[in-house]
Amino acid sequence: MWAAVAIAAGIGLGGIALYRGEHINSLWLVLAAACSYATAYRFYGKFISARVMLLNDERATPAERLRNGHDFEPTNKWIVFGHHFAAIAGPGPLVGPVLAAQFGYLPGTLWIIIGACLGGAVQDFVILFASMRRDGKSLGQMAREEIGKVGGFIALVTVLLIMVILLAVVGLVVVNALKGSPWGTFTIAATMPIAVFMGLYLRYWRPGKVLECSGLGFVLVMASIFAGRSVGESASLAPVFTLSAITLAIGIILYGFLASALPVWLLLAPRDYLSTFVKLGVVMMLAIGILFVRPELQLPAFTRFTDGNGPIFAGKVFPFCFITIACGAISGFHSLISSGTTPKMIAKEWHAWPVGYGSMLLESFVAIMAMIAACVLQPGVYFAVNSPAGVVGATPAAAVATISAWGFPVTVAEMSALAQNVGEQTLFSRTGGAPSLALGMAHIFASSGGGQAVIGFWYHFAIMFEALFILTIIDAGTRVGRFMLQDLLGHISPPLGRTSWMPGVIATSAMVVAAWGYFLVQGVRDPLGGINSLWPLFGISNQLLASIALCVATTILLKMHGAKFMWITCAPLAWLLSATFTAAWQKIFSPIPAVGFLAQADRMEAALRGGTAGNVADTQTLIFNARLDAAICGIFMVLVAVILVDSIRIWVGILSGSGDRRVHEAPFVSSRLQAEEL
Amino acid sequence: MRRILRFALALLRELGDENAYRRHLAMHGRAHSGAEWRRFSEERMRAKYARAKCC
Repeated sequence: MWAAVAIAAGIGLGGIALYRGEHINSLWLVLAAACSYATAYRFYGKFISARVMLLNDERATPAERLRNGHDFEPTNKWIVFGHHFAAIAGPGPLVGPVLAAQFGYLPGTLWIIIGACLGGAVQDFVILFASMRRDGKSLGQMAREEIGKVGGFIALVTVLLIMVILLAVVGLVVVNALKGSPWGTFTIAATMPIAVFMGLYLRYWRPGKVLECSGLGFVLVMASIFAGRSVGESASLAPVFTLSAITLAIGIILYGFLASALPVWLLLAPRDYLSTFVKLGVVMMLAIGILFVRPELQLPAFTRFTDGNGPIFAGKVFPFCFITIACGAISGFHSLISSGTTPKMIAKEWHAWPVGYGSMLLESFVAIMAMIAACVLQPGVYFAVNSPAGVVGATPAAAVATISAWGFPVTVAEMSALAQNVGEQTLFSRTGGAPSLALGMAHIFASSGGGQAVIGFWYHFAIMFEALFILTIIDAGTRVGRFMLQDLLGHISPPLGRTSWMPGVIATSAMVVAAWGYFLVQGVRDPLGGINSLWPLFGISNQLLASIALCVATTILLKMHGAKFMWITCAPLAWLLSATFTAAWQKIFSPIPAVGFLAQADRMEAALRGGTAGNVADTQTLIFNARLDAAICGIFMVLVAVILVDSIRIWVGILSGSGDRRVHEAPFVSSRLQAEEL
Repeated sequence: MRRILRFALALLRELGDENAYRRHLAMHGRAHSGAEWRRFSEERMRAKYARAKCC
């Protein structure tokens, strides 16, 4: 049977890689992905479990030894699987593939499948295993123990910097999805009082009834989507909810600040419950929709933009495809989850195989679905929605002329009809990925039943779904950033470190919000749409965190087995470092202004000197921003280079026999947990 | 089908912290009350939201 699955994987991959006909059916992507994942899981995942990690169900896990009913609790493996998947699935695997579709469906699809099987799932699995054997320690703690103090400190600083860039970029995705959209803005605004209502309901009226409360919240959110249509069509209400990008950005910044300082139970927690349930439901619905509709991909396997002149973001397919798609293939952020709650819930060591390796494969499948949703759009429509006005022109006529000249015909009438169908004023230059993903999802859902009559509802449902969990990331991320900052500042001024001291809470919340808010406003004001500079910065930082995680993983494997199995983590590490360092280098030093931050700054400075710059103050700000982005990129490179050199020093020591080969695992204790207890 | 539904409900209860709350009550030998839920959820949320959410 497994031979048949492996052959089907080969046929699927070969089919999508070699077929150059008019259109390819999305089922080819599903077949290639599903069979590749099954084969990789069964053989590669099992090989790592049995031969490399030497998983042993007789060994008690921290969930059993340190059981406390809270964090440490042996849990059914499929429940932990669902829990871990819900924790690692964010907007990344949805937005990244949509943006990378500018190269065509093939580069991104191959990277998602191969990257996940050989890189992402391996990273998540090895870190989960390592943390499980070390009483659930975090990545930072393991880096400190296995590599040294420098490694631990760098991991902490990198996480803080990534948070700032992440919050800015996801904030920008929401801003671009909601600007000039009264229907969408009303729906998202309505989720806030709904969340507060849920918070009060859960705390005072029906304590502990989370599912009941979330069901009620879901009904109210659906009602707000229906009401949003009327708001968008109302002459008096529509202008109130028709907001510019900068107004929305300021709104999100204020929201982030308030949500970070408010009690968790009031806003963050109830919305987090709701967004987690909606996320799982929508992922399932999308999978069923794709299988039911079996749409044909309209985008070609490759577009002309593999040469680096893409309108959505500039840069060649190597390295930029590999940093644009992070979470669907390999994501450093996952290592924080794999060394967070999950290792404390694993009941038996062998459960780490489906949870660590399997969850990442499912996440990768979500990325494949996002790629399909983007590619079912007509190429002209896809580029009209995702290309910034600074590239294609500010008027609809200019935009369609530019895009049609690229060989992707589209008309103003076509775009107007589509905008009208989904209840939007315009769909031109709605950069960020969310609107085009929502269009693709709406197309799939509407084709399952209801047709054009319901496409507007599904579009706004998809926007609500994306914005709901992005806003949860923003308030949770701001709060975590605040804790990290308070921890750091507490060494200088002890009251600032106290999470109960309100002036300290307000000051540190303001600092964190100001940091990501600055980058958000920078993205909004960017004439190239912001995504062009911020998404690569986010991708680079996320992949560099994955490099840190793989350095830790390689060190652990070396200590366990010598050089025998180090290729398992070294191969993805080498690929990741080459792609990410190349991308970072190009983002800083490329002489092409659309790619290199410094070249961009130089060009604007020349325009300023020549008197051709539009607004002097704005241009000076843009020059400063480009140099700031270059500096941030450089800081990431230096941080990871330091940890890499430190790791290599340790590896050489181990291999030469002079280094410390002690593994810092918790001692062996026999498991007494019976399978029927789970 | 029944097994799938039972699993889905168990997963939702785990994700919604309802199972954790039951374990908390059982472990400390306490009965459910509004005050008890508030005590539990505050402790739970403090730990939960001290960690970043994934991208």
